[in-house]
Amino acid sequence: MKEAFKEVPSIWTTGWTDILKTGTWRSAIPIYQKRLAPCHCACPVDGEIPTWIMLARRQLYREAWSALVANNPFPAITGRICHHPCEGACNRVEYDGAVAINALEQYIGDLALSEGWTLPQLRVELDQRIAVIGGGPAGLSCAYQLRRLGYKVTIFESRPELGGILRYGIPRYRLSKEILDGELKRLVALGIEAKLNHQVKSGDLSGLEEEYSAVFLALGAQSSKTIPQFSVDNNRVFKGLDFLERVNRGEAPQLGKQVIVIGGGSVALDVAGTVRRLGSQVKVLALESRESLPAQPDELAESLEEGVEIVAGVMVQKVSLSPDQISLDCVRVTLDETSPAGVLRPIQRSGTEFSVSATDVILAVGQDAVLTGWDRVVNVGQSLIRVDANLETNRPGVFAGGDVTPAERFVSTAIGQGKKAAISIDKYLTKQTSKGYSTKETEVLEDVVSYKEINTFYFPQENRETKGTVMVEQRLQNFAELKIGFSAQQTQFQAERCFSCGNCVECDNCFYFCPDMAVVKDSSLEEHYRILDQYCKGCGSCVQECPRGAVVLKEETER
Amino acid sequence: MNMGYLINEEKVFNSGHAACPGCSEALAMRYIVNTLGPDTIGVVPPSCIAIISGPQPLSSMRMPVYQTTLEASAASAAGIARALKAKGNDHTKVVVIAGDGGTYDIGFQALSSAAERNEDFIYVCLDNEGYMNTGAQKSSSTPYLAYTASTPAGKQTPKKNLAEIMAAHRIPYVATATTGYPEDLARKVAKAKEMKGLSFILVLAPCLDGWGLADNAGPKVSRLAVETGVFPLYEVEDGERYTLNYGSKGTPVSQYLSLQKRYRHLNQAQIEEIQLEVDHNWQHLQRNFST
Amino acid sequence: MNEGNNRILVNGNHAVAYGVRLAQPKVVPIYPITPQTPIVEKISEFQAAGEMVVELMTAESEHSAMAACITASLTGVRVFTATASQGLMLMHEMLHYASGARAPIVMFNVNRTIGSPWGFWPDQTDSLAQRDTGWIQYYCEHGQESLDTVLQAYRVAEKVMLPAMVMHEAFYVSHALDIVEVPAQEVVDQYLPAFNPLHRLDPEIGESWGNTVSQEMFYRHRRDLGLAMESVIDVAQKADAEWQELSSRGYGIIEEYRCEGAELVIATMGSMVGTARDAVDNLRKEGVSIGLLKVKLFRPFPTEAVRQALMGVPKVMVLDRNFAPGTGGFLHQELKAALYGMDRGPAVHGYLTGVGGTNISPTNIATLAREAMSTQPVVSSVWKG
Repeated sequence: MKEAFKEVPSIWTTGWTDILKTGTWRSAIPIYQKRLAPCHCACPVDGEIPTWIMLARRQLYREAWSALVANNPFPAITGRICHHPCEGACNRVEYDGAVAINALEQYIGDLALSEGWTLPQLRVELDQRIAVIGGGPAGLSCAYQLRRLGYKVTIFESRPELGGILRYGIPRYRLSKEILDGELKRLVALGIEAKLNHQVKSGDLSGLEEEYSAVFLALGAQSSKTIPQFSVDNNRVFKGLDFLERVNRGEAPQLGKQVIVIGGGSVALDVAGTVRRLGSQVKVLALESRESLPAQPDELAESLEEGVEIVAGVMVQKVSLSPDQISLDCVRVTLDETSPAGVLRPIQRSGTEFSVSATDVILAVGQDAVLTGWDRVVNVGQSLIRVDANLETNRPGVFAGGDVTPAERFVSTAIGQGKKAAISIDKYLTKQTSKGYSTKETEVLEDVVSYKEINTFYFPQENRETKGTVMVEQRLQNFAELKIGFSAQQTQFQAERCFSCGNCVECDNCFYFCPDMAVVKDSSLEEHYRILDQYCKGCGSCVQECPRGAVVLKEETER
Repeated sequence: MNMGYLINEEKVFNSGHAACPGCSEALAMRYIVNTLGPDTIGVVPPSCIAIISGPQPLSSMRMPVYQTTLEASAASAAGIARALKAKGNDHTKVVVIAGDGGTYDIGFQALSSAAERNEDFIYVCLDNEGYMNTGAQKSSSTPYLAYTASTPAGKQTPKKNLAEIMAAHRIPYVATATTGYPEDLARKVAKAKEMKGLSFILVLAPCLDGWGLADNAGPKVSRLAVETGVFPLYEVEDGERYTLNYGSKGTPVSQYLSLQKRYRHLNQAQIEEIQLEVDHNWQHLQRNFST
Repeated sequence: MNEGNNRILVNGNHAVAYGVRLAQPKVVPIYPITPQTPIVEKISEFQAAGEMVVELMTAESEHSAMAACITASLTGVRVFTATASQGLMLMHEMLHYASGARAPIVMFNVNRTIGSPWGFWPDQTDSLAQRDTGWIQYYCEHGQESLDTVLQAYRVAEKVMLPAMVMHEAFYVSHALDIVEVPAQEVVDQYLPAFNPLHRLDPEIGESWGNTVSQEMFYRHRRDLGLAMESVIDVAQKADAEWQELSSRGYGIIEEYRCEGAELVIATMGSMVGTARDAVDNLRKEGVSIGLLKVKLFRPFPTEAVRQALMGVPKVMVLDRNFAPGTGGFLHQELKAALYGMDRGPAVHGYLTGVGGTNISPTNIATLAREAMSTQPVVSSVWKG
């Protein structure tokens, strides 16, 4: 009896395994995600740093500049004076030194100026008019962002020229006039109206509100604080900001041989450096200890090189004036650590009294906003205009930002606030809650890429370079810029040090390390790659081998 | 300059195979067969590789693969190579992809003999330092003091140095490679493809389950093996000309050991012993490279 | 009839080599072992002299030699190898592998005692112990038969896709000189078509072989193998008949010699057949009604043919130059199984004669025959020197 046989498969193979869906094995799948880099997180203007550095790396400098000016209209300026918190946050710090982000920004900003690149044409013209009070960094930034959105903008500036602290407060050896003028000219060329020599008083506000759809107050903090021991009526005693402004206007006062500067911050050191270039000796007396001076470390190093004597942890007790000199009785102090933030409480150390004398004294102990009369029209507290999280004052349609509000006193912070205010104004005027603004607040803060997510195998150790400085002897001769920007070669080399944290650069590692070939290159996608759902086993090799944390593994709860 | 790979691949290795997630052998197989291309005949003995070759009636490789008995890989490959020659076919390549059990131990006799006759095929050993397919038993490739199911207190004898043994056979090409350096592996396979006679490539393939590693740790661990000097990557031509590709960076071997559960039982003195062994072997190997 | 044939004086092993040369295998893996070595040495001489175009692979062991045979065969070329005794034992794993692979390898095995203890003597236990490996088995009486059977083996093996081993005994046949007719190449070319298997290792086809299979697949594969083995009976008979046409030499799968009206038939294999022929002739001269059944094809066992031949024969005396503990003589056991349930089947004596290579003369056989005729058989094989 013959058995009925079923169809017998050959002992030779008849097909391939790609019909088997091994994707059913996994419990987590890789997701390509543009994640927040720590530099971006730290940047006060919300700059997309890994993006513009990647473009620079590819020598697409025009595109890199376009990415920069989306958030900050003057990279050549910030590339010189920004306090670069990005570098402090940079993941490469823990490896072999931060990426020289600030120097890269300067190179690109300078290149834009020398190449004559212009900001992109507006795509839309709106009818509404916005008034920006103050032509400093906050006001300029706000005006720029609003103009980009199509609004008509008028800047009211009390001084003869735009720039605010950029023109009148920062020494030329940090930011040359040519660079400043170049950056501002391009901005104004977008069609921003500037009313110069036009001081706006608090009483003008209601009138402005009728004529304009919104108002942005960027009044700055322009009044130097004084110390009770000093009488400012004396012509040998100067206020820091006034002094710097006079020098920048070409009206430097005649100083004696020995100048004393009171204060420990950037303004104090700027004053000291300026004094050196005017030919006098200078001592800086600061309340803070050397380690906790508010000035930037590189500013301090430059000052010391230039022969500035820094005397830290001292307080002036008594001032004696005589025809040709000023005598200061000082005592050494330590600061009370239990005092609240922002409040300096010096504790005198008895027995440490000493005296110093000077021909001139310059006070650089902080700045206050001048808000006479403004407290009657908007909410003012502790000498600052009060604003909510959207930078709106208590008066609808009136916004404020920069040093006139409780913000960190950095130029880049002011620029960032100007941008933020512009967005708030736009939302206020269009009554829309979201228009797809990409700000870092929309991303989850836990998702910042950390150093341990960087696969350092793919980055050979290379030293960080810093900007060169002109030799000291030469520096003191004039007010030419003391820092030397990067060359093209240095820029390229240093741009290559950027890990590009959380931002895919299409290195293809994920593609190469998949044992199941479940990563596919797809140039039509923004993410550049696609995971094959039917094959991926969820091992996470692609995530581990991504040098920059641009792929993460997400648990799949519903399958 | 940031390192980026550029590897040319033909589509011979298929997805849908049964390797564990993150398997180093599967990653190695991808670069071996995709570099050799479809005009190749493969020989695979019992091993994880055989499992990855696909469940009947399917194959994970778009080229003919013959599965042989554990000790007979090299002899089987020789049979194919001879038959191809007899048919006048001088273009089809023959490649063995075998585990360390089937190469260092039971398969060694056939391999040594094929080397002596300089048979025309490529022999790739995917070395995961044990009989992993049968549950992680010791092979003569298992390193000193490593835990395996048959050496629970740690293996008392050192790993056999098969690269040097094969170099001593004076075959045209011997190379070591590992999956953390895929471009290097592909380059070596491409080089062997162009040669006649026996080429031998020893690929260190960390076994996630057998060594006790996380699913994504294969390439990382394999790179540490190189950077600590445990497994330097080099080539030997005709038994004499040595070229170093990636050598020790002086990374302490403890960084390599600490990632693996099979070394979890080690005490400090044992780790130091291993460090001495690694340093000694590295020193010894370096004598071959001309300055 | 056969123009251009060569009649030469050679020993059994060399006769095999001439047969192999005519079959034109393309790959011959070799490993030396007494007493088969002259086969492969002769083949090497043929190759060195350019009379054979063949890849000779000097493997380092018989196991590797058989491994290479399998893959070379699966790559689509005709192969050959030879071994004996220990070598065959070592190959055991690969013999199963070969039949499972349906590789039509032809191997010559010179029957030699298996250690331990050591010996180089004729004894068929080595190949008989491989009877379960799925290989076709032929046992030859003399050199000419060995040569002809090698050719028939290729024909049969390549038809059913199973491997075949051909045997003759150590020294009595392997090293004994005899006149052998070497057929013409053209004749053999007619008889053996080119080997071109449908399934093979070939990148143009792309199929693979050797994956682990499911139980169902395994079962069906074994059944298919069994069917192929069963078909060998017919195929071998036809192959022999055709060879007879071409060469005038045929052997059948069994041979009945002077069995008409025999009261006792001697059943045996290999060189013992030649000795038994003399004994039968002598006994017949004396009026004793004796016949001889030569079993040539042992695997598959020619059950039907043997039953037909022994129908109505009162007694059979099996002479086994082989022995397995617990089994006794292999032919004895197989014959009994084949005859079981026959109406009018013979009583069967099983004698172990010549185990270990002891010399059995025609006189010894005659004596045993007389004894067998006058006694009742016992179930187990009996030691008779």
